[in-house]
Amino acid sequence: MSQTSVVVTPTPKQATPDPQTSVRAPSIRWSSMRRREAIAGYLFILPFLIFFGIFVARAIVTGVFMSFFDWPILPPVHTFRGLGNYNELFNDSLWWLSLKNTLIFAVTTVGGSTLLALGSAMAIHHLMRGKSFFRALLYAPAVLSVGVVGIAWGWLMDGEFGTINYVLHLLGIPKIAFLGDASIVLSSISLVTIWWTFGFPMLVFLAGIQNIPEQLYEAAYIDGANGRQAFRFITLPLLRPTILFVMVTSVISHFQVFGQSYILTGGGPGHASYTVIIYLYNFALRNYRLGYGSAIAVSLAVVLIAITFVQFRVLGRRERD
Amino acid sequence: MDYQTRAATNKVLVYVFLIIAGLFIVFPVFVVVSQSFMHSNEIIRWPPILVPNAPTIENYVHLFGRPDLMLPRWLFNSLFVSTTVTLLTLGLAAPAAYAFARLRFPGRQPLFFLFLATITIPVQVTQIPNYLLMHDLKFLDKYPALILPSVASVFGVFLLRQFFMSIPKELEEAAILDGATYWGLFLRIIVPLSTSSLTALGIFVFLANWNDLFWPLLVTNHLDMRTLPVGLTVLNSDYGALDRGLVLAGATFASIPVLIVYVIFQRNIIKGIAMTGMGGQ
Repeated sequence: MSQTSVVVTPTPKQATPDPQTSVRAPSIRWSSMRRREAIAGYLFILPFLIFFGIFVARAIVTGVFMSFFDWPILPPVHTFRGLGNYNELFNDSLWWLSLKNTLIFAVTTVGGSTLLALGSAMAIHHLMRGKSFFRALLYAPAVLSVGVVGIAWGWLMDGEFGTINYVLHLLGIPKIAFLGDASIVLSSISLVTIWWTFGFPMLVFLAGIQNIPEQLYEAAYIDGANGRQAFRFITLPLLRPTILFVMVTSVISHFQVFGQSYILTGGGPGHASYTVIIYLYNFALRNYRLGYGSAIAVSLAVVLIAITFVQFRVLGRRERD
Repeated sequence: MDYQTRAATNKVLVYVFLIIAGLFIVFPVFVVVSQSFMHSNEIIRWPPILVPNAPTIENYVHLFGRPDLMLPRWLFNSLFVSTTVTLLTLGLAAPAAYAFARLRFPGRQPLFFLFLATITIPVQVTQIPNYLLMHDLKFLDKYPALILPSVASVFGVFLLRQFFMSIPKELEEAAILDGATYWGLFLRIIVPLSTSSLTALGIFVFLANWNDLFWPLLVTNHLDMRTLPVGLTVLNSDYGALDRGLVLAGATFASIPVLIVYVIFQRNIIKGIAMTGMGGQ
């Protein structure tokens, strides 16, 4: 029974009682090997752990803690308010409006973005030539700074001189105040966001579609299926987990919208495009009410976790059918 | 419709769709760039002119002449901060990810679950305490405030861990047999094998930081410390009504370097982004 056999087998079933996913050398003194490995493990994670400990773990705990206090920066006196911050928050109709606006915005953006991304991914997949050109083109807006996006679309959507209104004018449609009309401002910001970000889900869908084996389609066509049926019965079901993943993560990220809405409308007109983060910025950070701000952040966390939960149950359940 | 005509119609539809999508993408950029070379009274007019009759670079001259606008500085700040954050994030996450993938140490499981739990919590909860910390450490309005709180990326650790676990163990076992240290093993074997996922994570982190408006807005005050998104916001709010050409020139200037980098590296960038998206599978 040679000792060197340990090297070849991934999980040696021998005197060394250590059946986990680690890498170790053959050695009789496994305890010192284990110690070396453990020390290495700690050293490897130490730098990360330090930053994580300070800026994530400590911050989360402090954030929740602060939400129960009045916490101005100056003077550095913190009065305990119990649930006072939360009380104030939930009695503020602007908070609920912000939540509603943000939800509408997130759902609209994810819906439009997913459709456009799926369509584009399908279209690009079916191209014979020019695949990488269109792929690069449609993703391109994502690398632009949010400031540029805001400036560009703010100007394009200008109610008086905007180019989009010019196109409408040429079609005989009267001017629309895209960002000045309370009833459509959220849709306008949504459109801008879709333009900016749909490239990312498109790339993910494209990779997913390319992973579907050609034979499935070939078999279907031989059996007489047309393109639409192939999409409904092969592409869509196989892509479902990917679409689900994209939608869940997109809702969460679009719920935290700040840049585009801040630059395009600042929350207006009136409060029609007030989002949760704009509320946080204006009501807590501008006034240095950090305790109140923490309460807002914690409430946002609860909302997001709830949304994720709901999404998984509603959309995920169909998986089992 | 027989197969031939249907195939041909589909092809035409696909191209039409993509061309329309392409125009949708390009049009806003074109208008901004084109009109940045127009005098303001050519810009603010109805019906609008899209291509300058008398192109001028006066907007750009004004852009660099004004003391309250520091576009080159803002561009530099964003580049410096985003690059540093990216490098630090990779530098912290990669060894940690390797430890979770391959090294056994007491407390590995609970620690992993702790990380997992924090991923569900949105970043806003941490931003206020971190702001306070930066204030107390007197880092506000300086680079550390822009950089340090952003480098601990649990997402990065997860992503890289997935990848490291897929590397065949035999390579590492052979190296250990030859007496390599874990660090040497990590540096000389694991890292070179992982360039694709490291690049992917790097691009993802870079873009996320590049586009962040909230945090730089929060922790900077002085004009020369602002990053690009903040500067552009200031430019737009201060001059949007007065001098549209100036604002458009600023936006164009801010986009050119990035677009050039994108055009050159787009193959790698796109491959990387798709990989992070599939990372959740």
